[in-house]
Amino acid sequence: MPRLTAYRSWNALPNKENTAGPCVRSGGPQARRSSPQPHLQNKSAMTHSPRTPILVMLAPAVSLVGVFIFLPMLLTIWLSFQAWSTQTGFGSTRFVGLQNYADLLSPLSVGRDFRQAFWNTAFYTALSVIVILPLSVALGLMVYQTRVAGGHVLRTVLFSTYMVPMIAVALVWSKLYSPNEGPLNQIIGWFGFDRQLWLSSPDTALASIVLLNVWQQVGYFTVLVIAGLTQIPTSLYEAARIDGANPVQSFFGVTLPLLRRTLLFSAVIAVINAVQVFEPVALITQGGPANSTNVLTYYIRRVGIERAQGGLGSAMAVTLMLALIVVIVALFAFARRGDDDK
Amino acid sequence: MSSVRKGRLFRASKARPLDALLLGGIVLVAVVSAFPLIWMVLSSFKTPAESMQVPPVWIPESVNFQAYGEVASVINAGRSFWNSAVIATTTTLGILITSLMAGYAFAKYRFRGRDLLFAAVIATMFLPPIVTLIPLYRLVGSIGLNASLAGVIVPNLANAFGVFLMRQFIAGVPDDLIDAARVDGASELRIVFTVVAPAVVPAIAALALFAFVYHWNTYLWPLTVLQGQVDSYPIVLSLSRLLSYNRGAMNTGLVMAGATMAVLPPLVMFLLLQRFFVDSIVSSGVKG
Repeated sequence: MPRLTAYRSWNALPNKENTAGPCVRSGGPQARRSSPQPHLQNKSAMTHSPRTPILVMLAPAVSLVGVFIFLPMLLTIWLSFQAWSTQTGFGSTRFVGLQNYADLLSPLSVGRDFRQAFWNTAFYTALSVIVILPLSVALGLMVYQTRVAGGHVLRTVLFSTYMVPMIAVALVWSKLYSPNEGPLNQIIGWFGFDRQLWLSSPDTALASIVLLNVWQQVGYFTVLVIAGLTQIPTSLYEAARIDGANPVQSFFGVTLPLLRRTLLFSAVIAVINAVQVFEPVALITQGGPANSTNVLTYYIRRVGIERAQGGLGSAMAVTLMLALIVVIVALFAFARRGDDDK
Repeated sequence: MSSVRKGRLFRASKARPLDALLLGGIVLVAVVSAFPLIWMVLSSFKTPAESMQVPPVWIPESVNFQAYGEVASVINAGRSFWNSAVIATTTTLGILITSLMAGYAFAKYRFRGRDLLFAAVIATMFLPPIVTLIPLYRLVGSIGLNASLAGVIVPNLANAFGVFLMRQFIAGVPDDLIDAARVDGASELRIVFTVVAPAVVPAIAALALFAFVYHWNTYLWPLTVLQGQVDSYPIVLSLSRLLSYNRGAMNTGLVMAGATMAVLPPLVMFLLLQRFFVDSIVSSGVKG
């Protein structure tokens, strides 16, 4: 997804269809006067059978996604019940039942480290989402408003950071955070704050990575919010104004409720992006200090690839996948409850 | 854009001080947001001594390109850039072709299981790459592509996001246009690339931008599949070698120069193609 993340702004295109997530409604806006898919009749009147072009069109994308995403996903699940060295072929597995999962829950060091990585990732994800969502709404309004100039420029600047490779972000921020010769301690010093250790202290390291993550990603989520704002009919603001609502009231009465689907979508993407945090950890902190920045993507790769414990790493990956499903279902349920309240 | 932007969110009150505050806020946010990148570029020009100074030097005394030369020699920057360009462009081309074809099929053909298949493809958007990394690593190894650029590229030649985006936009292409081409005897493949594709150029540009930038920037998969094969490293992987080079000593300028070089291509590409990105958002707003 990351394939999704990747192209994050895409999600920006959301008309109602995409904000609703992966559900598929065919037809949509283009189902106009003509009967749906009229060309099919034309086509069947033509000589070639429709089955061939369907297969030809779908084969490249579907087979690639099938072989390089679906198959590995199924293999991950299967491998999580096996003892397997990543250095050997898939033929050399040995079925061990739930042993890998038991290890993850055990007092073994791999279990302790995994649980720490799990909770670190949960904390990192929650904090990222909690900071990014409100911030993206505030910044989205700043870009979208027409009272003062500068919105366009701000959008460009905000989104630019999203184009910067995470590895460069990590390198630059590791220097910004440098306790002695870094500028951040100098800047907070001007406002009377004490010098911080940032990435060098177990108390602040993970939050410091959240901060650089927010800096890099917030522009993307701001664009999602702007796309959501363009969907809100101007007439609703007029109506609110006629009813005597001040701007604050119309924000809470009109803007925020109508952004709910956008924000749900943003939250899902933010969660999926957050669990992928890797570069700052791999490059700068190596999971430290004191395991405080050990996160799942880093640890799963470490166990499953570097230590070649493929079965154990797969069990971790499956646990992550299950946790993600729970979180995403919960987010949708939460948003739906909001709908019912209305 | 301007026609859509008449949100009038703040129109009700006319207080001047609020305007000043708002403008001040915009400037502040822009400065804070740009600061790390500005600092990166400034630091790349510093001498090693300036980099180590406490309190930090913000603006170097003179513009010093020495670090850039050093980067080129330490990591073979030319080779790394070439690798990045090969990975990003071939992957992007592959994604465009596979996404156009599948997007067309999902948007314009009707067949049994279509919605289920589409949902299955789309579901993979929500799968973080780490979940499939371990078996994928083995799988790519078993077809002999480990430690090669092909191993980096091939698994990414199609993705759900591209299929999704193309389906959304191709659904809006009039059926009449396609039928007219069929009547003229054009093959379906020809229709996709000569009739449908020109009708969705903004979406193609946007997908190209994001695919290129993503695959220029991506780190986890190349790191895993290339297995330390330094000659095949894209620039983002080579950057990590700068950090370990001369570590702990005065390498800040070196690292910042490398980072600046790596950031430029995706950033320039974004600034050039921004318009398409904006267009896509606006047109989707109109469509919805």
